[in-house]
Amino acid sequence: MSRIVDVLVVGSGMAGLVAALTAASQGKKVRMLTTGMGSLAISGGNIDLLGYVDGKYVPDPWAGMALLPAGHPYRLMGQENVRAALNFFQHHMASQQWGMHPAASWDGQARNVHTPTIMGTLKPTYLLPEKVNVDALTSARRVLVLSVEGLRDCRPALVVSQLRRYKAWADREFLQMTVPSPLGEAHRSASALDLARLIDRPQSRQWLIEALAAHAGSCDLVLLPPLCGSKAQPENWQTIENAAGCPVVEMLSIPPGVGGLRLRDALLRALRDHDFEMVENAKVLRAETSDKACTALVAEASGQERRHEAKTFVLATGGILGGGLELAPGKIRESVMGLDIAAPADVEQWASPDLFGKHFFASAGVCVDNTMRPVDSQSAARWSNVFFAGRSLGGYDYAAEKSGHGVAVATGWQAGRMAAAASEE
Amino acid sequence: MSVHISPDNCIACTTCVVHCPVADATPNFLGPRMIGPAYERFRLLGLNEDPSLHYCSNCKNCDITCPHGVPVSSLNMMARADQCQKTPPGLRDWILGHGELMAKWLHLIPAGLKNFGMLNPFTRQVLHKLGIHKRAPLPAFAGRNFRHLARQVKQPDTGRSVVFYPGCYVDVYDPQTGLDMIWAMNRAGYKVIVPQDLVCCGLPMVANGFWQHARSNAEHNLRSLAQWRDQGLPVVTGCPSCALMFRVDLPEYFPDLGEKYGACRLEDAQDFLLACADSGELDLAPAASGKNQPDMKIMYHAPCHLRAQGNGLPSLELLRRLPGVSVSNAHAGCCGISGSYGFKTEKYEIAQRVGSTLFSTIRESGATLTASECGTCRVQIEHGSGTSCQHPVSILRSRLEHSDVKKA
Repeated sequence: MSRIVDVLVVGSGMAGLVAALTAASQGKKVRMLTTGMGSLAISGGNIDLLGYVDGKYVPDPWAGMALLPAGHPYRLMGQENVRAALNFFQHHMASQQWGMHPAASWDGQARNVHTPTIMGTLKPTYLLPEKVNVDALTSARRVLVLSVEGLRDCRPALVVSQLRRYKAWADREFLQMTVPSPLGEAHRSASALDLARLIDRPQSRQWLIEALAAHAGSCDLVLLPPLCGSKAQPENWQTIENAAGCPVVEMLSIPPGVGGLRLRDALLRALRDHDFEMVENAKVLRAETSDKACTALVAEASGQERRHEAKTFVLATGGILGGGLELAPGKIRESVMGLDIAAPADVEQWASPDLFGKHFFASAGVCVDNTMRPVDSQSAARWSNVFFAGRSLGGYDYAAEKSGHGVAVATGWQAGRMAAAASEE
Repeated sequence: MSVHISPDNCIACTTCVVHCPVADATPNFLGPRMIGPAYERFRLLGLNEDPSLHYCSNCKNCDITCPHGVPVSSLNMMARADQCQKTPPGLRDWILGHGELMAKWLHLIPAGLKNFGMLNPFTRQVLHKLGIHKRAPLPAFAGRNFRHLARQVKQPDTGRSVVFYPGCYVDVYDPQTGLDMIWAMNRAGYKVIVPQDLVCCGLPMVANGFWQHARSNAEHNLRSLAQWRDQGLPVVTGCPSCALMFRVDLPEYFPDLGEKYGACRLEDAQDFLLACADSGELDLAPAASGKNQPDMKIMYHAPCHLRAQGNGLPSLELLRRLPGVSVSNAHAGCCGISGSYGFKTEKYEIAQRVGSTLFSTIRESGATLTASECGTCRVQIEHGSGTSCQHPVSILRSRLEHSDVKKA
């Protein structure tokens, strides 16, 4: 086969899609191999850049990066590159009519913002859809919390009682409302995605518009589950805000990740403008390598094997759950290139008894240099044309740091651009 | 059932529910995560089946999107087979599962008469009562089946051969696509062998709950195809569902047959042709006089059963290489028909809702022609979007043959 592409990306999560878009926007021929759907199907749709370092909240993620250890992906890339990566991402989101913006504080500096979840907790995040009125989150005095009957995971009473525990929210006035389900008596309980899909269709969104109209003008913020449309279409949000007569903010929710699907929708739309091919249901089994380079990846194609040749390779295969890292007693292995990852032989030491403490498994992954090439114990690049991005990388703990999509966007961009450059050599 | 799939690889992440077109179209389907792995645990305990199992259309989007490799649709089909063993499915499901056999029984009746009999309003009303929706786009029987017509094609003897498995759709309803395939293979330098004794791959039988019939068809086909495989000849098909059935489902459903006859993995004919183009065997270059043809704008729909195979979209690339042809990938999900699913009275509206994104994508694109490998996807697209839909290999022929004629 002579269907050799410039850049072969493995994985269609946030890191893989950004890597593909970066390389494709530089005119490279890009093929993506996927198995499953990647992280965006379960993601909330914001970009968390950096919320905590060593358990301490950092209001300014950029200042927080200086406190990170040297092996952290942000430190390896350097802050200027992380900024460039986010700019690239924002540019493409805006071009797909799904602009993402950071919250700015009074001095104009970009800061983290605390967004409510359906559990009534607050989570620091960095980039939000432009439709989200961040100022309303801090300034609103009268807040309506809305849910829908049958949506088991979102209880306004819980949200309100939990939010009141935070100083910034304690003395606000809350209203609660549970709207009858537009789906009526259905065989299954509704998810936020089912409701978001109703909002997609102009003829089936009247139930929410009418429910909000009853309170129109009486509040200065409405909090609701993520149901303002399942696609990257800001008009849906606008319709709901018009009905409410005030800003509307979605609470972050458990899967399915409605907000993440909007990001995926926008990224795939952006990719379709380029020389991009997606091969679904192709699980990469192994790599074929020479001394200093990778020549092909072998993927499973319904019971048979299929070789995929490329000039360069970006592996955005995910972590332990995504299958990019494989565990065996006392061993962790990267699944495609077969890289061994240094780990304590005693498995007891992989986790800490403190649930919110530091766990080895949470930051275990591939060690790379500043170009995202995997390195050996002498810090020399193993292969000239293999790049890693996203959760398969070591040195960061997205759950404790609140940095998941931030690292994925940053390292995806870096790996994509380095692979694009290497494909010209 | 001799096979058991462990449901415990499922971590309940809901990705499959997000991408299930049927769950999107109706809240009455419990969804792949619940009907597949979650309910399988109840089944293993001998508890009752959920009544919404019948909504699964076996389109396999759950399998495509599962990050942990759980064959959700296979769990559903095996559960359906179990259910059908206890309560046999009705006449309607038998008819839809056995289109090929029906055609064989009716072969003495001329196609025109048959089609008049099947497609007139009165019969459609009767069929509707029987459970086949009166607006369902039932394909018309061809005058002569493909296997018969293939015998009459004069093929050059090139010394190289390929075995073609037409699948029942091409054989019974759409022989022209099969003839176009022979033409393309000949152009690439291959003589096409069409074995006369092959039967339906069995997928419609599985989907309608006729597990034992699917098994006997599988055994018949595997026995027949083993001889060609043993001669080292490639066996190809233009139908993605047949390919998926042979490559993934049969080994999963009937592992003992694989042991008995050895695996027979159909290759994708379009992928085969693309490889021929790469190696120079298949000439896709425009003939000088072919440039007179008007440019063509095509919308391509990737059948779900093709996307499930991990081979990418070879037809899309093949079409893109044709002179004067610009092709867009519709990228608009399932067409909704899922073989015979969208023909059923109680499923017709669901199928139309599933396909609505694809139909509007096609209409809004302004494309005058669509392309898709799957036969029933093609009838659904024509029905839903009002745009003509052809097999990619037919488009290939119409572009290249035209050039040749002009040259001569």
